Amino acid sequence: MTDMLMNWAYCLGQALALLLLAPLVAGIIKKVKAALQNRVGASVLQEYYDIRKWWRKPTILTPYTSWIFLAAPCVYFVTTLAGACMLPNFFSGNMGLGDVFLFVYIFALGRFFMAVASMDAATAFGGMGGSREVYVAAFVEPVIMLGILSNVLHTNSTSLGGMTLDPAAANLTVASVLTAIAFFLVVLAENSRIPVDNPDTHLELTMIHECMTLEYSGRLLSLIHWASQLKLLVFLIIFSLLYFPLNLPLVLKVLLSACLVSVMEILNNKLRLFKVRVYLAAAGIMMLLAIVAQ
Amino acid sequence: MDLFYAAILCYCLGVVTLALPRKLQAKAHYVANILSAVGSGLVLWEAGRLLLNNDSWLGLRWGAYSLVCDGWSAIFLVMTGLAGVITSIYALDYAKAYFGHRLRFLGSMWNMFLLSMVLVLLAGDALSFLLFWEIMAVASFMLVNHEAEIKTTWNAAYQYFVMTSIGTAAIMIAFLLTSTASASFSFTDLAQNTLTGGWATAVFVTAFIGFALKAGLVPLHVWLPNAHPAAPSHVSALMSGVMLKIALYGFGRFMFDFLPVWNYWWAVLVMVLGLLSAFLGVLYAQMETDIKRILAYSSVENMGIIFAAFGCGMLLKVVTDSNWCQIAFLAALLHACNHSIMKVLMFMSAGSIMHGTGSKNLELFGGLARKMPTTALCTFIGSMALAALPLTNGFVGEWMALQGFITLSHQGAAGQDIRLLSALAFILLGLTGALALGCFVRFFGITFLGRARSELVGRAHESGIFMRTAMCCSSILVLALGIYPAPLIKLLCNSLHISEYLILGNNERLLWGGSGSFASYNALLLFVLLAVLGSIVYFLVIARGKFVRREITWNCGTIPTARQQYSATGFSKPVRRGFDYLLKPKRQVTYVRKDHSYFGRLMSYKLEIPDMVTELLYIPLQQHFVRISAFLRRMQQGSVRLYVSYVMAAMVLALVWGAIYK
Repeated sequence: MTDMLMNWAYCLGQALALLLLAPLVAGIIKKVKAALQNRVGASVLQEYYDIRKWWRKPTILTPYTSWIFLAAPCVYFVTTLAGACMLPNFFSGNMGLGDVFLFVYIFALGRFFMAVASMDAATAFGGMGGSREVYVAAFVEPVIMLGILSNVLHTNSTSLGGMTLDPAAANLTVASVLTAIAFFLVVLAENSRIPVDNPDTHLELTMIHECMTLEYSGRLLSLIHWASQLKLLVFLIIFSLLYFPLNLPLVLKVLLSACLVSVMEILNNKLRLFKVRVYLAAAGIMMLLAIVAQ
Repeated sequence: MDLFYAAILCYCLGVVTLALPRKLQAKAHYVANILSAVGSGLVLWEAGRLLLNNDSWLGLRWGAYSLVCDGWSAIFLVMTGLAGVITSIYALDYAKAYFGHRLRFLGSMWNMFLLSMVLVLLAGDALSFLLFWEIMAVASFMLVNHEAEIKTTWNAAYQYFVMTSIGTAAIMIAFLLTSTASASFSFTDLAQNTLTGGWATAVFVTAFIGFALKAGLVPLHVWLPNAHPAAPSHVSALMSGVMLKIALYGFGRFMFDFLPVWNYWWAVLVMVLGLLSAFLGVLYAQMETDIKRILAYSSVENMGIIFAAFGCGMLLKVVTDSNWCQIAFLAALLHACNHSIMKVLMFMSAGSIMHGTGSKNLELFGGLARKMPTTALCTFIGSMALAALPLTNGFVGEWMALQGFITLSHQGAAGQDIRLLSALAFILLGLTGALALGCFVRFFGITFLGRARSELVGRAHESGIFMRTAMCCSSILVLALGIYPAPLIKLLCNSLHISEYLILGNNERLLWGGSGSFASYNALLLFVLLAVLGSIVYFLVIARGKFVRREITWNCGTIPTARQQYSATGFSKPVRRGFDYLLKPKRQVTYVRKDHSYFGRLMSYKLEIPDMVTELLYIPLQQHFVRISAFLRRMQQGSVRLYVSYVMAAMVLALVWGAIYK
């Protein structure tokens, strides 16, 4: 009993630690991006300042919103936090919530609430964001499923702990490299980064995730941003643990993949919305090849 | 115990309420629906008791004809009973809308429909099975055709009747073929049949056609999205929630009892058709703007998932001949139970929306959550379940099905094709899951959130107490079975005669070891975790947060209007373009007035998405038939002398034939 409680405490502690680190990782990505563009850029702590700023501000609501509008950021935040709890424990064991399929679907729960809430403020932008989010998700999900299959085929486990690559087995094979590239493309799409979405602009033609959050303010907005940063960090950790084909310490792997995100962002433009399916189909085909090559 | 007889008696009494005079139609309506609720309750109680005690029931027996209830039929009786109770309570309010429009007939046929479904499940021989199956078809046809004054309803009902007759014919052939190799028509004798080789394949093919047609699998689903919206909502709920599952019952009866040795390609066929139905069903669901058609297509999707899991189980059994197939069969059955509950809930919600607004067109709604808060909450829970999100019962079945497919992918010894099949399954299941999410985001968001898109919403009102009770009961069941699925899984394990220890780690946790090590899902712990974290966040953000003003949204200096919101058609536009090579949307934009290229324009917009299967299969088939009939018409000139000569010619041919082959 005490073992179980300790285990839960570890998992929650891990999730909270990741929550505290998430804005830092987002800040690092921005800083690297700025450095690559020969800019000084904002401080790596800027994301913390932003969250604090929004946290202090009051929330303004439109007259049309219902309880969904208030519930959605909370659910998005809480499900992302639960996702962080499910990561293979850095201490020992895990919480026993569920396996990788639950991990995928728990983010779907958050997405469901955000996409529904996007229609609550009765503006054109909200619906635009929701409809595009749903569209991107439709193409992301099969690739994630293939990624899971590709991993499970050689690790023989669907629990995230069991799926973690054995450091000794992390080597460069055709299958592992293809899977890693494809999964990285999916991480970018899932977390609304360039080339699928642009987290930095508020221009209606480019945005997906930012569209959905346009009517939020105050603490609700800070929750959404914080949760998105945590989600990015969680996915980078999953990428590092499950798919990164080199044997390096975890922190280094996460930082490397974070830098890779910045590099991708300065090397690419945002894709046209209807080209996203080609981008994700390419990722899917790489996954399929990896499955066949195993 | 003979509670089944009591239930049958209740239903029969319900049927004869038709004989009450027209003056008493309101009373007849109440009596009929209360009788059907009581009857269904008795069925639920008795079948549940049998399952819990791992018992079977032997009723009337007259020669080869009998009424029996074993594990496999008991679980479907539980579904029927549960859905029957809930929808009958709902009908107490809902069917009142048909006052003066054959209300007594509706109540009577409602009982007949429930009675025939219960008897199909209790039938212990082929003849009574076929008899009750046909009564079920006729009763549901009558119910679908209830608003026969509307041309589309009439068309849908007749299309349904033709299709279901073809299905019955196929099932009849399957039974006859099986009975040629067995002693009698009773199921126990049919199970002892000596079918082999090609004959077994013929039985499989005909049975699969018949039951897949009833279940609405692609490409035999075309009747479903027409018939379900045409029927009154409580009838659609029962048709979608229970009648489609009875197809699974019949298919399972054939596969488990009559054809115990399966071919590799049978299993592949069932699985691949199931997966295709799941994907295409949900894709079309997202394109629809009629709320009941959305739900009907979503039924195609879910029946697809159920049959895909069933096919996966068959494949596992064929490939490994081990107990690994249990998880997939359990997943199929569990998803059938869960889908029965959530689809009943969603059709009742759709009925409530129609009752409140008088329309089923998604484009006319918006902001209904303020007018109909209970319906909104129940629909939200139902939408979450149909999008297979965690904490609802939809996810439990989905999780198990995914474990089944993972187990399948690990049968590496069976060859590369198994691995590719499981990759295909994961692609299609991933697409299905994400599209279902999008579909129900759209369903709920457009209907209940934002601002009213038409004046219908202003006049909307919340439904009566019985309708709300029924919807709330279903919603609670959806959540309860999602958070604590153990009791249901135990019942299902009893039904399939499998050991529950492989699947239930302990009462809180699901466990499965098909991939080599154990995978688990602990819904209760997840619920506790989300509830605790959620209440902390609620306290910090909502309760302690500052909410100062309610201001109109900034819209670049103009006041936003309700028409600036995304419409239902607009919402599904990206997906429509994303899958345009499958959907082939036909879009027509014409300018009614165009004074200037940017403003002052008046457009008419027409969008049509023809059903792919209809276009590719049924219309060419129909044209082919017309051509053949035109050809055959040359023989039918109407002249008596010609017909006499045909008779002569036939006789001469028969004589020659007889002379050659003595």
